[in-house]
Amino acid sequence: MKKLQKTSTDIIPTGYLWTGLILLFLFSVLPFIYMIGSSFSSQLELNEGHLFPHHPTLINYQQLFSNSGPYVSELRAAMGNSLEVSILTTVISLIFGCFAAYAFARIRFPFRMTGLFAILSMQVLPSVSIVVPLYMLFRTGFSIPIPFTNLSFQLTGPLLDTPWALIIAYCSGTIPYVVWMVTGYFSVVPKELEESAYVDGCGRLGTMFRIILPLSIPGLAATFIFSVLNNFDEFMFANAFTTTYNSKTIPIFIAELVGKHSLPWGLMTAAGVVATIPFVILSMICYRWIVTGVTAGAVKG
Amino acid sequence: MRKISKLRRGDRLFAYALLIPTVIYLACVFVYPIVQSLFWSFLHYDLLDGSPKHFVGFGNYAQILVSGQFWYSLWNAIWFTLFTCSVELVLGFFCALLLNQTFPGRTFFRASIIIPWALLTMVNGLLWDYMLQPGTNGGALQIVLHALHLLPHNSNPVWLATITGTVFWAGIADIWKMTPFMTLLILAGLQSLPGELYEASMLDGAGFWKKVRYVTIPHVMPAVIVAVVLRVMGAFRVYDILTEFTGSDTTSVTYLTFDNAFRYFYLGKASAMAWLSTLFIIALIIYYIRILKKNMDEA
Repeated sequence: MKKLQKTSTDIIPTGYLWTGLILLFLFSVLPFIYMIGSSFSSQLELNEGHLFPHHPTLINYQQLFSNSGPYVSELRAAMGNSLEVSILTTVISLIFGCFAAYAFARIRFPFRMTGLFAILSMQVLPSVSIVVPLYMLFRTGFSIPIPFTNLSFQLTGPLLDTPWALIIAYCSGTIPYVVWMVTGYFSVVPKELEESAYVDGCGRLGTMFRIILPLSIPGLAATFIFSVLNNFDEFMFANAFTTTYNSKTIPIFIAELVGKHSLPWGLMTAAGVVATIPFVILSMICYRWIVTGVTAGAVKG
Repeated sequence: MRKISKLRRGDRLFAYALLIPTVIYLACVFVYPIVQSLFWSFLHYDLLDGSPKHFVGFGNYAQILVSGQFWYSLWNAIWFTLFTCSVELVLGFFCALLLNQTFPGRTFFRASIIIPWALLTMVNGLLWDYMLQPGTNGGALQIVLHALHLLPHNSNPVWLATITGTVFWAGIADIWKMTPFMTLLILAGLQSLPGELYEASMLDGAGFWKKVRYVTIPHVMPAVIVAVVLRVMGAFRVYDILTEFTGSDTTSVTYLTFDNAFRYFYLGKASAMAWLSTLFIIALIIYYIRILKKNMDEA
Protein backbone atom coordinates (compact mmCIF):
# COMPACT_ATOMS: atom_id res chain seq x y z
CA MET A 1 0.00 0.00 0.00
CA LYS A 2 1.34 3.36 -0.89
CA LYS A 3 2.12 5.67 1.97
CA LEU A 4 -0.23 8.60 2.19
CA GLN A 5 1.39 11.97 2.50
CA LYS A 6 -0.19 14.16 5.11
CA THR A 7 -0.86 17.62 3.77
CA SER A 8 -1.55 20.93 5.39
CA THR A 9 -5.23 20.74 4.43
CA ASP A 10 -5.59 17.94 7.00
CA ILE A 11 -6.89 20.01 9.86
CA ILE A 12 -8.87 17.39 11.78
CA PRO A 13 -6.92 15.26 14.29
CA THR A 14 -6.86 11.56 13.39
CA GLY A 15 -9.01 10.38 16.27
CA TYR A 16 -11.84 12.78 15.49
CA LEU A 17 -11.45 12.06 11.79
CA TRP A 18 -12.09 8.34 12.18
CA THR A 19 -14.89 8.81 14.68
CA GLY A 20 -16.55 11.17 12.23
CA LEU A 21 -16.00 8.89 9.28
CA ILE A 22 -17.47 5.87 11.04
CA LEU A 23 -20.52 7.85 12.18
CA LEU A 24 -20.94 9.20 8.66
CA PHE A 25 -20.64 5.72 7.18
CA LEU A 26 -23.20 4.26 9.60
CA PHE A 27 -25.55 7.17 9.01
CA SER A 28 -25.53 6.69 5.24
CA VAL A 29 -25.39 2.93 5.03
CA LEU A 30 -27.32 1.46 7.97
CA PRO A 31 -30.87 2.36 6.87
CA PHE A 32 -30.01 1.01 3.44
CA ILE A 33 -28.68 -2.27 4.82
CA TYR A 34 -31.74 -2.51 7.03
CA MET A 35 -33.92 -2.21 3.95
CA ILE A 36 -32.02 -4.99 2.19
CA GLY A 37 -32.20 -7.16 5.31
CA SER A 38 -35.95 -6.64 5.65
CA SER A 39 -36.51 -7.60 2.04
CA PHE A 40 -35.16 -11.06 2.94
CA SER A 41 -37.36 -11.41 6.02
CA SER A 42 -40.67 -13.21 6.25
CA GLN A 43 -43.70 -11.27 7.49
CA LEU A 44 -43.57 -13.31 10.70
CA GLU A 45 -40.04 -12.20 11.55
CA LEU A 46 -40.87 -8.58 10.74
CA ASN A 47 -43.86 -8.77 13.08
CA GLU A 48 -41.67 -10.15 15.83
CA GLY A 49 -39.47 -7.08 15.50
CA HIS A 50 -36.23 -8.65 14.32
CA LEU A 51 -33.97 -5.98 12.82
CA PHE A 52 -32.22 -8.54 10.66
CA PRO A 53 -33.56 -11.82 9.34
CA HIS A 54 -32.69 -14.90 11.38
CA HIS A 55 -33.88 -17.16 8.61
CA PRO A 56 -33.36 -15.28 5.35
CA THR A 57 -35.97 -16.08 2.75
CA LEU A 58 -36.63 -15.16 -0.86
CA ILE A 59 -40.39 -15.21 -0.39
CA ASN A 60 -40.84 -11.47 -1.00
CA TYR A 61 -38.94 -11.57 -4.26
CA GLN A 62 -40.83 -14.68 -5.32
CA GLN A 63 -44.10 -12.89 -4.66
CA LEU A 64 -42.94 -9.84 -6.58
CA PHE A 65 -41.71 -11.78 -9.59
CA SER A 66 -44.00 -14.82 -9.69
CA ASN A 67 -45.79 -14.97 -13.00
CA SER A 68 -49.09 -15.75 -11.35
CA GLY A 69 -48.72 -12.89 -8.85
CA PRO A 70 -50.40 -9.49 -9.16
CA TYR A 71 -47.21 -7.43 -9.32
CA VAL A 72 -44.92 -8.79 -11.98
CA SER A 73 -46.58 -7.26 -15.03
CA GLU A 74 -47.06 -3.89 -13.30
CA LEU A 75 -43.48 -3.86 -12.11
CA ARG A 76 -42.14 -4.76 -15.52
CA ALA A 77 -44.28 -2.10 -17.21
CA ALA A 78 -43.30 0.54 -14.67
CA MET A 79 -39.60 -0.24 -14.97
CA GLY A 80 -39.85 -0.14 -18.77
CA ASN A 81 -41.73 3.17 -18.73
CA SER A 82 -39.29 4.75 -16.31
CA LEU A 83 -36.28 3.71 -18.38
CA GLU A 84 -37.88 4.78 -21.65
CA VAL A 85 -38.98 8.16 -20.33
CA SER A 86 -35.80 9.08 -18.51
CA ILE A 87 -33.42 8.00 -21.27
CA LEU A 88 -35.41 9.54 -24.14
CA THR A 89 -35.82 12.77 -22.17
CA THR A 90 -32.10 12.96 -21.56
CA VAL A 91 -31.16 12.23 -25.18
CA ILE A 92 -33.60 14.81 -26.57
CA SER A 93 -32.49 17.39 -24.03
CA LEU A 94 -28.82 16.76 -24.82
CA ILE A 95 -29.41 17.28 -28.54
CA PHE A 96 -31.34 20.54 -28.04
CA GLY A 97 -29.09 21.64 -25.21
CA CYS A 98 -25.76 21.07 -26.98
CA PHE A 99 -26.72 23.33 -29.88
CA ALA A 100 -27.86 26.08 -27.55
CA ALA A 101 -24.86 25.62 -25.29
CA TYR A 102 -22.49 25.97 -28.23
CA ALA A 103 -24.05 29.31 -29.10
CA PHE A 104 -23.87 30.51 -25.49
CA ALA A 105 -20.32 29.30 -24.89
CA ARG A 106 -18.51 30.12 -28.11
CA ILE A 107 -20.31 32.97 -29.89
CA ARG A 108 -20.81 36.53 -28.66
CA PHE A 109 -24.22 37.95 -29.44
CA PRO A 110 -26.52 40.53 -27.86
CA PHE A 111 -28.47 39.43 -24.75
CA ARG A 112 -26.24 36.40 -24.34
CA MET A 113 -26.04 36.60 -20.53
CA THR A 114 -29.70 37.57 -20.21
CA GLY A 115 -30.68 34.56 -22.28
CA LEU A 116 -28.52 32.25 -20.22
CA PHE A 117 -29.99 33.51 -16.95
CA ALA A 118 -33.52 33.31 -18.33
CA ILE A 119 -32.92 29.65 -19.14
CA LEU A 120 -31.36 29.02 -15.74
CA SER A 121 -34.38 30.49 -14.00
CA MET A 122 -36.64 28.05 -15.86
CA GLN A 123 -34.74 25.19 -14.32
CA VAL A 124 -35.54 26.33 -10.80
CA LEU A 125 -39.12 27.56 -11.12
CA PRO A 126 -41.49 25.22 -9.28
CA SER A 127 -42.87 22.57 -11.62
CA VAL A 128 -46.27 22.91 -9.94
CA SER A 129 -46.66 26.21 -11.79
CA ILE A 130 -46.86 24.52 -15.20
CA VAL A 131 -48.49 21.25 -14.26
CA VAL A 132 -52.10 22.46 -14.71
CA PRO A 133 -51.72 24.01 -18.20
CA LEU A 134 -49.65 21.04 -19.35
CA TYR A 135 -52.36 18.69 -18.12
CA MET A 136 -54.97 20.51 -20.22
CA LEU A 137 -52.61 20.54 -23.18
CA PHE A 138 -52.00 16.80 -22.94
CA ARG A 139 -55.69 16.10 -22.45
CA THR A 140 -56.59 17.48 -25.86
CA GLY A 141 -53.27 17.01 -27.63
CA PHE A 142 -51.21 19.69 -29.37
CA SER A 143 -52.97 21.72 -32.04
CA ILE A 144 -52.32 24.89 -33.99
CA PRO A 145 -55.43 27.11 -34.33
CA ILE A 146 -56.08 28.49 -37.80
CA PRO A 147 -56.59 32.26 -37.46
CA PHE A 148 -60.11 33.75 -37.93
CA THR A 149 -61.80 30.35 -37.94
CA ASN A 150 -62.90 27.95 -35.30
CA LEU A 151 -60.80 25.25 -36.90
CA SER A 152 -57.48 24.05 -35.69
CA PHE A 153 -54.81 21.81 -37.05
CA GLN A 154 -54.47 18.83 -34.75
CA LEU A 155 -50.81 17.84 -34.40
CA THR A 156 -51.15 14.99 -31.92
CA GLY A 157 -53.88 13.02 -30.24
CA PRO A 158 -54.41 13.19 -26.48
CA LEU A 159 -51.14 12.48 -24.72
CA LEU A 160 -52.28 11.67 -21.19
CA ASP A 161 -51.27 8.15 -20.15
CA THR A 162 -48.57 7.95 -22.77
CA PRO A 163 -44.82 8.20 -22.19
CA TRP A 164 -44.75 11.25 -24.45
CA ALA A 165 -46.62 13.37 -21.93
CA LEU A 166 -43.87 12.71 -19.42
CA ILE A 167 -41.06 13.11 -21.94
CA ILE A 168 -42.39 16.49 -23.09
CA ALA A 169 -42.91 17.68 -19.51
CA TYR A 170 -39.52 16.45 -18.26
CA CYS A 171 -37.70 18.05 -21.18
CA SER A 172 -38.95 21.46 -20.06
CA GLY A 173 -36.94 21.02 -16.87
CA THR A 174 -34.03 19.03 -18.29
CA ILE A 175 -33.17 21.23 -21.30
CA PRO A 176 -32.38 24.26 -19.09
CA TYR A 177 -30.24 22.05 -16.85
CA VAL A 178 -28.35 20.63 -19.85
CA VAL A 179 -27.84 24.08 -21.39
CA TRP A 180 -26.45 25.42 -18.14
CA MET A 181 -24.09 22.47 -17.54
CA VAL A 182 -22.89 22.00 -21.11
CA THR A 183 -22.25 25.73 -21.59
CA GLY A 184 -19.81 25.38 -18.72
CA TYR A 185 -18.04 22.40 -20.28
CA PHE A 186 -17.88 23.97 -23.75
CA SER A 187 -16.50 27.26 -22.53
CA VAL A 188 -13.40 25.69 -20.95
CA VAL A 189 -12.23 24.16 -24.26
CA PRO A 190 -9.23 26.31 -25.29
CA LYS A 191 -9.97 28.83 -28.04
CA GLU A 192 -6.73 27.96 -29.87
CA LEU A 193 -8.03 24.49 -30.77
CA GLU A 194 -11.07 25.98 -32.44
CA GLU A 195 -8.99 28.58 -34.26
CA SER A 196 -6.58 26.03 -35.69
CA ALA A 197 -9.56 24.00 -36.87
CA TYR A 198 -10.84 27.12 -38.69
CA VAL A 199 -7.45 27.44 -40.38
CA ASP A 200 -7.76 23.85 -41.51
CA GLY A 201 -11.06 24.75 -43.14
CA CYS A 202 -13.63 23.59 -40.58
CA GLY A 203 -16.82 25.61 -40.39
CA ARG A 204 -18.60 26.47 -37.16
CA LEU A 205 -20.60 23.26 -37.19
CA GLY A 206 -17.49 21.27 -38.08
CA THR A 207 -15.53 22.58 -35.10
CA MET A 208 -18.48 21.88 -32.86
CA PHE A 209 -18.75 18.24 -33.86
CA ARG A 210 -15.05 17.51 -34.35
CA ILE A 211 -13.38 19.58 -31.64
CA ILE A 212 -15.73 20.82 -28.93
CA LEU A 213 -18.04 17.81 -28.52
CA PRO A 214 -15.32 15.12 -28.32
CA LEU A 215 -13.36 17.16 -25.78
CA SER A 216 -16.47 17.59 -23.60
CA ILE A 217 -17.43 13.91 -23.46
CA PRO A 218 -16.70 13.50 -19.71
CA GLY A 219 -18.90 16.50 -18.99
CA LEU A 220 -21.64 15.24 -21.29
CA ALA A 221 -21.48 11.84 -19.60
CA ALA A 222 -21.86 13.48 -16.19
CA THR A 223 -24.84 15.47 -17.41
CA PHE A 224 -26.35 12.34 -18.96
CA ILE A 225 -26.14 10.23 -15.81
CA PHE A 226 -27.31 12.98 -13.48
CA SER A 227 -30.26 13.78 -15.69
CA VAL A 228 -31.31 10.13 -16.08
CA LEU A 229 -31.23 9.68 -12.30
CA ASN A 230 -33.23 12.87 -11.76
CA ASN A 231 -35.91 12.00 -14.27
CA PHE A 232 -36.19 8.48 -12.93
CA ASP A 233 -36.99 9.98 -9.55
CA GLU A 234 -39.59 12.52 -10.70
CA PHE A 235 -42.98 12.05 -9.08
CA MET A 236 -45.33 14.99 -9.49
CA PHE A 237 -45.70 15.13 -13.28
CA ALA A 238 -45.94 11.35 -13.36
CA ASN A 239 -48.66 11.43 -10.74
CA ALA A 240 -50.65 14.03 -12.68
CA PHE A 241 -50.28 12.66 -16.20
CA THR A 242 -50.49 8.89 -15.82
CA THR A 243 -53.32 6.82 -14.41
CA THR A 244 -53.16 3.50 -16.26
CA TYR A 245 -50.93 0.56 -15.38
CA ASN A 246 -49.31 0.68 -18.78
CA SER A 247 -48.12 4.26 -18.40
CA LYS A 248 -47.06 4.42 -14.75
CA THR A 249 -43.47 4.89 -13.68
CA ILE A 250 -41.56 3.27 -10.85
CA PRO A 251 -42.11 6.00 -8.22
CA ILE A 252 -45.87 5.78 -8.78
CA PHE A 253 -45.78 1.99 -8.61
CA ILE A 254 -44.00 2.16 -5.26
CA ALA A 255 -46.26 4.86 -3.85
CA GLU A 256 -49.30 2.74 -4.71
CA LEU A 257 -47.89 -0.41 -3.15
CA VAL A 258 -48.09 1.38 0.18
CA GLY A 259 -51.49 2.86 -0.39
CA LYS A 260 -53.43 -0.13 -1.63
CA HIS A 261 -52.44 -3.03 0.55
CA SER A 262 -52.26 -3.76 4.23
CA LEU A 263 -48.66 -2.87 4.95
CA PRO A 264 -46.77 -5.79 3.40
CA TRP A 265 -43.43 -4.37 4.50
CA GLY A 266 -41.32 -7.27 3.27
CA LEU A 267 -42.81 -6.97 -0.18
CA MET A 268 -42.37 -3.22 -0.25
CA THR A 269 -38.76 -3.29 0.80
CA ALA A 270 -38.15 -5.93 -1.87
CA ALA A 271 -39.73 -3.63 -4.44
CA GLY A 272 -37.57 -0.80 -3.10
CA VAL A 273 -34.45 -2.90 -3.48
CA VAL A 274 -35.35 -3.93 -7.03
CA ALA A 275 -36.10 -0.35 -8.08
CA THR A 276 -33.05 1.11 -6.39
CA ILE A 277 -30.12 -1.31 -6.51
CA PRO A 278 -29.34 -0.65 -10.19
CA PHE A 279 -29.00 3.04 -9.38
CA VAL A 280 -26.95 2.57 -6.27
CA ILE A 281 -24.52 0.40 -8.23
CA LEU A 282 -24.52 2.83 -11.15
CA SER A 283 -23.84 5.73 -8.78
CA MET A 284 -20.95 3.92 -7.11
CA ILE A 285 -19.38 3.05 -10.47
CA CYS A 286 -19.95 6.46 -12.03
CA TYR A 287 -19.22 8.27 -8.78
CA ARG A 288 -16.72 10.66 -10.33
CA TRP A 289 -19.00 11.61 -13.20
CA ILE A 290 -21.99 12.13 -10.98
CA VAL A 291 -20.00 14.43 -8.74
CA THR A 292 -19.06 16.50 -11.77
CA GLY A 293 -22.70 16.59 -12.80
CA VAL A 294 -23.76 17.78 -9.36
CA THR A 295 -21.05 20.31 -8.76
CA ALA A 296 -19.88 21.78 -12.05
CA GLY A 297 -22.48 24.49 -12.43
CA ALA A 298 -22.52 25.55 -8.82
CA VAL A 299 -18.80 25.86 -8.28
CA LYS A 300 -17.91 27.29 -11.65
CA GLY A 301 -20.82 29.71 -11.23
CA MET B 1 -12.69 45.75 -41.68
CA ARG B 2 -15.86 45.16 -43.63
CA LYS B 3 -15.08 41.51 -43.92
CA ILE B 4 -14.84 41.11 -40.16
CA SER B 5 -18.19 42.71 -39.49
CA LYS B 6 -19.77 40.47 -42.11
CA LEU B 7 -18.26 37.42 -40.46
CA ARG B 8 -19.56 38.60 -37.11
CA ARG B 9 -23.03 39.03 -38.45
CA GLY B 10 -22.86 35.53 -39.92
CA ASP B 11 -21.79 34.26 -36.50
CA ARG B 12 -24.64 36.01 -34.84
CA LEU B 13 -27.16 34.49 -37.22
CA PHE B 14 -25.55 31.11 -36.66
CA ALA B 15 -25.94 31.54 -32.90
CA TYR B 16 -29.62 32.37 -33.29
CA ALA B 17 -30.07 29.36 -35.56
CA LEU B 18 -28.57 27.10 -32.89
CA LEU B 19 -30.81 28.61 -30.24
CA ILE B 20 -34.05 28.39 -32.19
CA PRO B 21 -34.99 24.77 -31.33
CA THR B 22 -34.46 25.32 -27.61
CA VAL B 23 -36.21 28.69 -27.59
CA ILE B 24 -39.23 27.38 -29.49
CA TYR B 25 -39.44 24.30 -27.27
CA LEU B 26 -39.23 26.24 -24.02
CA ALA B 27 -41.63 28.88 -25.33
CA CYS B 28 -44.25 26.21 -26.11
CA VAL B 29 -43.81 23.93 -23.13
CA PHE B 30 -42.67 26.34 -20.45
CA VAL B 31 -43.35 30.01 -21.14
CA TYR B 32 -46.76 29.52 -22.78
CA PRO B 33 -48.10 27.25 -19.99
CA ILE B 34 -46.84 29.49 -17.21
CA VAL B 35 -48.40 32.58 -18.83
CA GLN B 36 -51.59 30.65 -19.44
CA SER B 37 -51.72 29.66 -15.78
CA LEU B 38 -51.36 33.33 -14.83
CA PHE B 39 -54.38 34.04 -17.04
CA TRP B 40 -56.33 31.13 -15.51
CA SER B 41 -55.55 32.29 -12.02
CA PHE B 42 -58.04 35.13 -12.63
CA LEU B 43 -60.81 32.77 -13.81
CA HIS B 44 -63.37 30.65 -12.10
CA TYR B 45 -62.30 27.43 -13.80
CA ASP B 46 -63.71 24.22 -12.37
CA LEU B 47 -63.60 21.08 -14.47
CA LEU B 48 -66.26 19.26 -12.46
CA ASP B 49 -69.09 21.70 -11.63
CA GLY B 50 -70.10 22.22 -15.26
CA SER B 51 -70.30 26.01 -15.05
CA PRO B 52 -68.47 27.88 -17.81
CA LYS B 53 -65.19 29.52 -16.89
CA HIS B 54 -65.57 33.19 -16.19
CA PHE B 55 -63.46 36.10 -15.05
CA VAL B 56 -63.35 36.64 -11.29
CA GLY B 57 -60.49 39.15 -10.98
CA PHE B 58 -58.52 38.59 -7.84
CA GLY B 59 -61.26 36.35 -6.45
CA ASN B 60 -59.13 33.22 -6.40
CA TYR B 61 -56.26 35.03 -4.73
CA ALA B 62 -58.56 36.55 -2.13
CA GLN B 63 -60.11 33.16 -1.41
CA ILE B 64 -56.66 31.60 -0.97
CA LEU B 65 -55.25 34.38 1.15
CA VAL B 66 -58.12 34.30 3.65
CA SER B 67 -58.07 30.52 3.96
CA GLY B 68 -56.30 29.16 7.01
CA GLN B 69 -55.40 26.03 5.09
CA PHE B 70 -53.19 27.93 2.69
CA TRP B 71 -51.25 29.75 5.41
CA TYR B 72 -50.92 26.56 7.38
CA SER B 73 -49.49 24.65 4.40
CA LEU B 74 -47.24 27.58 3.50
CA TRP B 75 -45.95 27.69 7.06
CA ASN B 76 -45.29 23.93 6.89
CA ALA B 77 -43.35 24.32 3.65
CA ILE B 78 -41.33 27.18 5.12
CA TRP B 79 -40.33 25.49 8.33
CA PHE B 80 -39.64 22.26 6.46
CA THR B 81 -37.29 24.27 4.22
CA LEU B 82 -35.56 26.07 7.07
CA PHE B 83 -35.20 22.88 9.10
CA THR B 84 -33.86 20.64 6.33
CA CYS B 85 -31.60 23.22 4.72
CA SER B 86 -29.93 24.35 7.94
CA VAL B 87 -29.30 20.80 9.16
CA GLU B 88 -28.10 19.73 5.72
CA LEU B 89 -25.78 22.73 5.60
CA VAL B 90 -24.16 22.04 8.98
CA LEU B 91 -23.92 18.27 8.46
CA GLY B 92 -22.79 18.69 4.86
CA PHE B 93 -20.09 21.15 5.84
CA PHE B 94 -18.57 18.83 8.45
CA CYS B 95 -18.88 15.79 6.17
CA ALA B 96 -17.09 17.74 3.45
CA LEU B 97 -14.33 18.71 5.90
CA LEU B 98 -13.90 15.04 6.85
CA LEU B 99 -13.86 13.79 3.28
CA ASN B 100 -11.46 16.50 2.13
CA GLN B 101 -8.77 15.07 4.38
CA THR B 102 -6.26 12.48 3.14
CA PHE B 103 -6.75 9.03 4.62
CA PRO B 104 -6.67 5.45 3.35
CA GLY B 105 -9.94 4.38 1.73
CA ARG B 106 -11.03 7.92 0.93
CA THR B 107 -12.57 7.00 -2.41
CA PHE B 108 -14.58 4.24 -0.73
CA PHE B 109 -15.96 6.60 1.92
CA ARG B 110 -16.70 9.32 -0.62
CA ALA B 111 -18.62 6.87 -2.79
CA SER B 112 -20.49 5.30 0.14
CA ILE B 113 -22.06 8.57 1.21
CA ILE B 114 -23.96 8.91 -2.05
CA ILE B 115 -26.01 5.76 -1.37
CA PRO B 116 -28.86 7.73 0.26
CA TRP B 117 -28.83 10.19 -2.60
CA ALA B 118 -29.00 7.39 -5.20
CA LEU B 119 -32.14 5.93 -3.59
CA LEU B 120 -35.32 7.05 -5.32
CA THR B 121 -37.24 9.56 -3.20
CA MET B 122 -40.20 7.21 -3.09
CA VAL B 123 -38.06 4.34 -1.81
CA ASN B 124 -36.55 6.71 0.72
CA GLY B 125 -40.03 7.66 1.90
CA LEU B 126 -41.07 4.02 2.06
CA LEU B 127 -37.98 3.13 4.06
CA TRP B 128 -38.51 5.88 6.65
CA ASP B 129 -42.21 5.27 6.86
CA TYR B 130 -41.36 1.66 7.60
CA MET B 131 -38.72 2.53 10.21
CA LEU B 132 -41.17 4.85 11.98
CA GLN B 133 -43.97 2.31 12.37
CA PRO B 134 -45.66 2.26 15.79
CA GLY B 135 -46.79 -0.80 17.74
CA THR B 136 -45.28 -3.18 20.25
CA ASN B 137 -42.83 -4.55 17.70
CA GLY B 138 -42.85 -1.46 15.54
CA GLY B 139 -40.28 0.00 13.20
CA ALA B 140 -36.52 -0.10 13.50
CA LEU B 141 -36.18 3.32 15.08
CA GLN B 142 -38.34 2.35 18.00
CA ILE B 143 -36.57 -0.99 18.47
CA VAL B 144 -33.18 0.73 18.45
CA LEU B 145 -34.29 3.48 20.86
CA HIS B 146 -35.71 0.85 23.21
CA ALA B 147 -32.51 -1.17 23.05
CA LEU B 148 -30.44 1.93 23.83
CA HIS B 149 -32.85 2.84 26.66
CA LEU B 150 -33.44 6.23 25.10
CA LEU B 151 -37.16 5.43 25.14
CA PRO B 152 -38.85 3.96 28.23
CA HIS B 153 -39.49 0.31 27.61
CA ASN B 154 -43.27 0.48 27.65
CA SER B 155 -43.74 3.57 25.47
CA ASN B 156 -44.64 3.24 21.81
CA PRO B 157 -44.86 6.73 20.34
CA VAL B 158 -46.87 7.25 17.17
CA TRP B 159 -44.58 9.59 15.33
CA LEU B 160 -46.66 10.18 12.24
CA ALA B 161 -49.94 10.91 14.01
CA THR B 162 -49.92 14.69 13.56
CA ILE B 163 -49.17 16.88 10.55
CA THR B 164 -46.32 18.55 12.41
CA GLY B 165 -44.82 15.15 13.20
CA THR B 166 -45.21 14.01 9.63
CA VAL B 167 -43.53 17.09 8.22
CA PHE B 168 -40.74 16.78 10.79
CA TRP B 169 -40.00 13.15 9.92
CA ALA B 170 -40.30 13.88 6.22
CA GLY B 171 -37.65 16.49 6.94
CA ILE B 172 -35.44 13.86 8.59
CA ALA B 173 -35.85 11.61 5.55
CA ASP B 174 -35.01 14.54 3.29
CA ILE B 175 -31.94 15.33 5.38
CA TRP B 176 -30.82 11.72 5.08
CA LYS B 177 -31.23 11.81 1.30
CA MET B 178 -29.94 15.26 0.45
CA THR B 179 -27.03 15.80 2.86
CA PRO B 180 -24.72 13.98 0.38
CA PHE B 181 -25.73 16.51 -2.28
CA MET B 182 -24.77 19.38 0.02
CA THR B 183 -21.56 17.57 0.99
CA LEU B 184 -20.53 17.13 -2.64
CA LEU B 185 -21.11 20.80 -3.47
CA ILE B 186 -19.15 22.02 -0.45
CA LEU B 187 -16.43 19.42 -1.02
CA ALA B 188 -15.97 20.73 -4.55
CA GLY B 189 -15.52 24.20 -3.11
CA LEU B 190 -13.05 22.92 -0.50
CA GLN B 191 -10.90 21.17 -3.06
CA SER B 192 -9.86 24.48 -4.55
CA LEU B 193 -8.60 25.69 -1.17
CA PRO B 194 -4.78 25.92 -1.28
CA GLY B 195 -2.90 24.33 1.63
CA GLU B 196 -0.71 27.44 2.02
CA LEU B 197 -3.60 29.27 3.63
CA TYR B 198 -3.71 26.73 6.44
CA GLU B 199 0.07 26.79 6.75
CA ALA B 200 -0.01 30.54 7.14
CA SER B 201 -2.72 30.31 9.80
CA MET B 202 -0.71 27.59 11.56
CA LEU B 203 2.19 30.02 11.90
CA ASP B 204 -0.22 32.36 13.62
CA GLY B 205 -0.99 29.54 16.04
CA ALA B 206 -4.55 28.88 14.90
CA GLY B 207 -6.25 25.73 16.17
CA PHE B 208 -8.97 23.73 14.42
CA TRP B 209 -11.88 26.07 15.09
CA LYS B 210 -9.88 29.18 14.21
CA LYS B 211 -8.79 27.60 10.93
CA VAL B 212 -12.37 26.72 10.11
CA ARG B 213 -13.60 30.16 11.09
CA TYR B 214 -10.98 32.30 9.36
CA VAL B 215 -9.75 30.16 6.46
CA THR B 216 -12.27 27.49 5.48
CA ILE B 217 -15.57 29.31 5.85
CA PRO B 218 -14.64 32.46 3.93
CA HIS B 219 -13.16 30.36 1.14
CA VAL B 220 -16.14 28.04 0.61
CA MET B 221 -18.74 30.77 1.14
CA PRO B 222 -19.61 31.19 -2.59
CA ALA B 223 -20.12 27.44 -3.03
CA VAL B 224 -22.14 27.30 0.20
CA ILE B 225 -24.47 30.13 -0.82
CA VAL B 226 -25.15 28.57 -4.20
CA ALA B 227 -25.74 25.16 -2.62
CA VAL B 228 -28.11 26.58 -0.02
CA VAL B 229 -30.12 28.55 -2.56
CA LEU B 230 -30.46 25.44 -4.74
CA ARG B 231 -31.57 23.34 -1.77
CA VAL B 232 -34.00 26.00 -0.54
CA MET B 233 -35.72 26.07 -3.92
CA GLY B 234 -35.79 22.27 -3.97
CA ALA B 235 -37.07 21.88 -0.41
CA PHE B 236 -39.78 24.52 -0.70
CA ARG B 237 -41.56 22.55 -3.42
CA VAL B 238 -41.50 19.32 -1.41
CA TYR B 239 -44.22 16.99 -2.57
CA ASP B 240 -43.24 13.42 -3.25
CA ILE B 241 -41.91 12.37 0.13
CA LEU B 242 -45.05 13.67 1.84
CA THR B 243 -47.21 11.56 -0.45
CA GLU B 244 -45.56 8.49 1.03
CA PHE B 245 -46.10 9.60 4.62
CA THR B 246 -49.56 11.12 4.52
CA GLY B 247 -52.60 11.74 2.39
CA SER B 248 -53.11 15.20 3.79
CA ASP B 249 -53.00 18.25 1.56
CA THR B 250 -52.19 20.61 4.44
CA THR B 251 -48.62 19.33 4.67
CA SER B 252 -47.05 21.68 2.13
CA VAL B 253 -48.10 24.35 -0.27
CA THR B 254 -47.18 22.25 -3.32
CA TYR B 255 -49.28 19.39 -1.99
CA LEU B 256 -52.23 21.72 -1.46
CA THR B 257 -51.84 23.16 -4.97
CA PHE B 258 -51.63 19.71 -6.53
CA ASP B 259 -54.71 18.50 -4.69
CA ASN B 260 -56.69 21.57 -5.67
CA ALA B 261 -55.82 20.86 -9.29
CA PHE B 262 -56.07 17.09 -9.54
CA ARG B 263 -58.28 15.95 -6.69
CA TYR B 264 -60.89 18.71 -6.79
CA PHE B 265 -60.13 20.08 -10.30
CA TYR B 266 -60.34 23.75 -9.22
CA LEU B 267 -57.98 24.74 -12.01
CA GLY B 268 -58.32 28.50 -11.52
CA LYS B 269 -57.65 28.37 -7.80
CA ALA B 270 -54.77 25.94 -8.26
CA SER B 271 -53.23 28.26 -10.86
CA ALA B 272 -53.45 31.18 -8.45
CA MET B 273 -51.81 29.11 -5.73
CA ALA B 274 -49.05 27.98 -8.09
CA TRP B 275 -48.40 31.62 -8.94
CA LEU B 276 -48.02 32.54 -5.29
CA SER B 277 -45.28 29.88 -4.95
CA THR B 278 -43.76 31.04 -8.21
CA LEU B 279 -43.50 34.62 -6.93
CA PHE B 280 -41.75 33.34 -3.81
CA ILE B 281 -39.24 31.41 -5.91
CA ILE B 282 -38.72 34.33 -8.32
CA ALA B 283 -37.66 36.48 -5.38
CA LEU B 284 -35.10 33.80 -4.50
CA ILE B 285 -33.92 33.54 -8.12
CA ILE B 286 -33.24 37.26 -8.27
CA TYR B 287 -31.13 36.93 -5.14
CA TYR B 288 -29.35 33.89 -6.60
CA ILE B 289 -28.54 35.63 -9.88
CA ARG B 290 -27.12 38.61 -8.02
CA ILE B 291 -24.78 36.27 -6.15
CA LEU B 292 -23.73 34.50 -9.34
CA LYS B 293 -23.05 37.83 -11.07
CA LYS B 294 -21.00 39.01 -8.12
CA ASN B 295 -18.97 35.77 -8.17
CA MET B 296 -18.37 36.16 -11.89
CA ASP B 297 -17.24 39.75 -11.53
CA GLU B 298 -14.76 38.71 -8.87
CA ALA B 299 -13.41 35.78 -10.89
